Amino acid sequence: MQLETNGVCKYFGGLKAVDGVDFRLSSGQLKSIIGPNGAGKTTFFNLLSGFYLPTKGTIHFEGKDISRKSMDQVSQRGITKTFQITQIFPRLTVFENVRIAAQSRKTAFNFWRRAGSFHDVNEKALEVLDLVMLLDSRERIASTLSHGEKRYLEIGMALAAEPKILLLDEPTAGMSPAETVEATHLIRDIADRLKLTIVLVEHDMSVVMEISDDILVLNEGKVLAEGNPKTISDNEEVQRVYLGGGKK
Amino acid sequence: MEKLTDIKREKGKVGFVDKSVWITLLILLVLPFLISKPLATEILIYGLFALAFNLLLGHTGVLSFGHAAYFGVGAYAGGMALRYFHVSVWTSLVVAMVVTALVAAGIGALAIKKKGVYFAMISLAFAQMFYFMALSPFRKWTGGEDGLKFIPILKLEFPFPVDLTSALPLYYFTFFVVGLAIIALWRILDSPFGRVLKAIRENEVRTRATGYNVNRAKFLSLVISGSFSGLAGALFTIYLGYGSLMTLFWMTSGSILMMTLLGGMHTFIGPVVGVGVFMYLQNTISVYTDRWQLFVGALFVALVLFFPDGLVGTIKMKYRERKSRA
Amino acid sequence: MFDLSWEIVAMQMIFGLALGCVYVLMAGGLSIIFGLLDVVNFAHGTFYMLGAYAIFVAVSLCGNFWLGLVSAVVIVALIGGVIEWLLLKPLYKRDPLYPLLLTFGVSICIPDIIKICFGLIGKVVPYPSGLMGAFMWGPVMIPKYRLFIIVLTLVVLITLWLFLNKSNLGMIIRASTRDSMMTQVLGINVSRIWTVGFMIGIGLAALAGAVAAPMVASIPDMGVEMTIECFVVVVIGGLGSLGGAIIGGLLIGQVISFVALFAPSWSNVAIFMVMAIILIIRPRGLFGEEGRL
Repeated sequence: MQLETNGVCKYFGGLKAVDGVDFRLSSGQLKSIIGPNGAGKTTFFNLLSGFYLPTKGTIHFEGKDISRKSMDQVSQRGITKTFQITQIFPRLTVFENVRIAAQSRKTAFNFWRRAGSFHDVNEKALEVLDLVMLLDSRERIASTLSHGEKRYLEIGMALAAEPKILLLDEPTAGMSPAETVEATHLIRDIADRLKLTIVLVEHDMSVVMEISDDILVLNEGKVLAEGNPKTISDNEEVQRVYLGGGKK
Repeated sequence: MEKLTDIKREKGKVGFVDKSVWITLLILLVLPFLISKPLATEILIYGLFALAFNLLLGHTGVLSFGHAAYFGVGAYAGGMALRYFHVSVWTSLVVAMVVTALVAAGIGALAIKKKGVYFAMISLAFAQMFYFMALSPFRKWTGGEDGLKFIPILKLEFPFPVDLTSALPLYYFTFFVVGLAIIALWRILDSPFGRVLKAIRENEVRTRATGYNVNRAKFLSLVISGSFSGLAGALFTIYLGYGSLMTLFWMTSGSILMMTLLGGMHTFIGPVVGVGVFMYLQNTISVYTDRWQLFVGALFVALVLFFPDGLVGTIKMKYRERKSRA
Repeated sequence: MFDLSWEIVAMQMIFGLALGCVYVLMAGGLSIIFGLLDVVNFAHGTFYMLGAYAIFVAVSLCGNFWLGLVSAVVIVALIGGVIEWLLLKPLYKRDPLYPLLLTFGVSICIPDIIKICFGLIGKVVPYPSGLMGAFMWGPVMIPKYRLFIIVLTLVVLITLWLFLNKSNLGMIIRASTRDSMMTQVLGINVSRIWTVGFMIGIGLAALAGAVAAPMVASIPDMGVEMTIECFVVVVIGGLGSLGGAIIGGLLIGQVISFVALFAPSWSNVAIFMVMAIILIIRPRGLFGEEGRL
C-alpha cells in the first residue's frame, strides 16, 4: 500500500467536512474521488497534501506516518498536487514556473551559484514543458496563458517536482469539451509513461469512467462506495446520491 | 519547433552578473564629479539600505515597517565598536553586520511566521523600541538625543592609509564597500535561494506546495536584509563621524520605503534610482520650505495610486510593451 | 519604592484606566477598520491628532466643550470618509499592500498640513467646567475628568456592541467584510457600507483624540507615536478582536502608568517589551483567532 488513511477526520468547529475516511492506494494506480458538492473531496485532498492537519485519524505514506507533516514536507516526500483554483506564479515566465518546481528537489538554500547554472534542473524543466505541450510558450509570462494552458502548467509544475503520487484537484474544471478530451488523454498518458500513481478529484464522469482504475465515492465526509468503474456505475446508492451527470 | 537539445544548451549560458549591475557601478563611480560629494555618499549609503530593504519587500513580498531598526543598530554597533573598543574601520563594519544579523534573527524568530500586516506592525514596534532605548535608558552608552559622539578620527590603515575625514577618499571607500555589497546582493537574488524568494512573493501557497520551507526562507531573507542594512548604517556613522539617533527614527523606515517604491520595488536597481531622485529632490526642495514631508507624502500617495511600479518599473514595462508590439 | 501608600497605587490605577480607555477607543477603531476592510490603517494616529485639533478649533469657536467634542468627532469622521472614498477605494482590488501604503502616505502628509495651518506650538484645550478637579472616594482622590473618560468609553463600547449586533445596519456591516462572498449575494451597495464602517473606525480615533486633548498639549506629530502604540495594543490583544482591543488597551494603560511611576526612563520602552514577551509566550495574541495569525 503506497498511501493509506485510517479513520481520517477534519472538523471545522461543528462542521464535519471529512468524517472517518479509510483510503487505500497502490503504487501505479489511477484512482478517482467523486461525490456531490460538499462531500469533502477537496478537504480530503488538502489532508493528503498536508494543507490541513487531520482532527483525527492517520495518514501513512510508504509505511511512514505523515499525518502531521506540513505541506512542504509532504511534497518533498513525493506527493505533489494541483489546486482546484490554479495556483501558479503569475508574473514569472512559464519556464521559470516549472524550473523552480524542478529546483525544489535539488536545492533551496544555495546563495552563491546562479540559478540558471544548474543544467540538470533546466533540462528537467524543459522536458516537463515538452510533455505538457508548453515548450513553445516557455518565455511567456504565466499570467498571459489561457485558462487551459495554466492548468497544464500547474500539472507540469507538479510533475517537475518528481512525485511518486500526483494529486489532481478537478484538473478539467473550466475546460472546453475539446480541451477536456485532450487533458484526459494527457493524464492517462503521464500515468502510463512515467509509471506514476495518480489520484483525481473530478466532477466530469466521462473523464472518471474513461481513465480510472479505481473509484472512491464520498458523501457528507464519509465513504459511500469504492470499486472499479463498472461496480460504481452499477451501484444504486451512488446513482441515487450522485446522479453522475456529465458536464452541465 | 526548436530542437529540445538546442534549447537546453542555450539555457545553460550564464555570466557573473548582469550588465545592469556594471552600468550602475560605472555611474556611481563618476557620481562625485556630477553632484556634491556628501550628497553622492549619502546616495550610496541609502542606496545600499534600499537594496537591502527591497530584498525583503520587492523580492520576498514581506513588508517591514521598521527597517530603521537594522540601519540604526548597525550605525550604533559600528560606532560603539569604534568608540569603546577602538577597532579598525573594517572591523566595525563586520561587527555591525553580525550584530544586526542577530537582531534580525531575534525579530524574525518572533514575527516572521505571521501574516503580513502583523509583521509590518511588529517590525515598526521593535524599531520604535530601539529608538526609545537609545534615547533614554541606555543614554549613557548611546549618547541619547545628541547621538554617539567622540568617535576616534577615522582613517584606514589597510591595505593602504586613507583619510576618511576627507570627502573624496570617503566616497570611494564607501563606493568600494557598497559596490561589493551590490554585487553580493545581485548574486544572492539570482541564486536558487533568490528564486525561491521570488516564488514566495508570487504565490506563497504554491511555493509551499512545491516543497519549499517558506518560513525558513523568509527568515533568512530578513536576516540578510537586516545585515546589509546594518552595513549601510555603519557606513553612515563613518560618513557622519558620529552615531545619529535619527537612524532609528520611524521616518527613516518610512523614507526608505518611499524611496524604494519611487524607484520600483520589482526591479533590482530601482531602489537605488529611487534613492538618487528622492535625495536630490529633498536637497533641492528643503532650500525653499520646511514642509518637505507634505510634498513627499503627496508624491507617495500619487505613486501608490497611479505609478505603483515606480520609475524604473514603469520604464521597464513600457519597454517590454514596445518590444512585444514590434 | 515600597513606602508607597495604597492611595497612590489606586490613583495610578485610575490614571492607567483612563489612559487605557483612550487606547481601547483607538484599538477598537483600528480593529473595526481591519475587520471590515482588511486594511491596517497606518494613519489611525493621524486621525487621533485631527480629533484633538478639531476640538481645539471647535471650542475656540463656540466656547462649549460638549459641542466641540461632538463636532470634532463628526468632522474628522467625515474627513475620513472622503479619504476612503477618493483614495482608498480604488486600491481594494489590488495587492493588499497598497491600501496600507496609502494610509501611510496620508499619515505623512496631514501633519504637515496642520503645521502650516496651526504652527508647531502645542495647542491647549481647557477642561470643561463641570469636570475640573477631583472628588474623594474614601481615601482615594479621583480626578473627575479621568472618570468621565472611563464612563464615556464604557457607554461608547456598549452602544457600539448594541449597534453592531442588534441593529440592521450594524449587522449588514458585520456581514460585509471585504473577503466575504455575501457582499455580492446580498446585492446591497457594499461600497457605501465600507465607507460607513471606515468612518466609524475613524470616529473612534477622533473621539480618543478629542477627549485626550485637555490632558496633553496637541502637537502635529502626536499621531505617529499613537499609531505605533495602537499597533502594540492590537498585537497584544489580537487584531480583529474587539475583546482583545479592550484587554490590550487596558493592559497597556496600566503598564505605562506604573512604569512612569517606578522607572520613568523606561516608560516609553516598557510597552514594547511587554509586546515582545507576549509574542514569545502566546504568539497569536491574547484573543487572536487561530489561523488569522
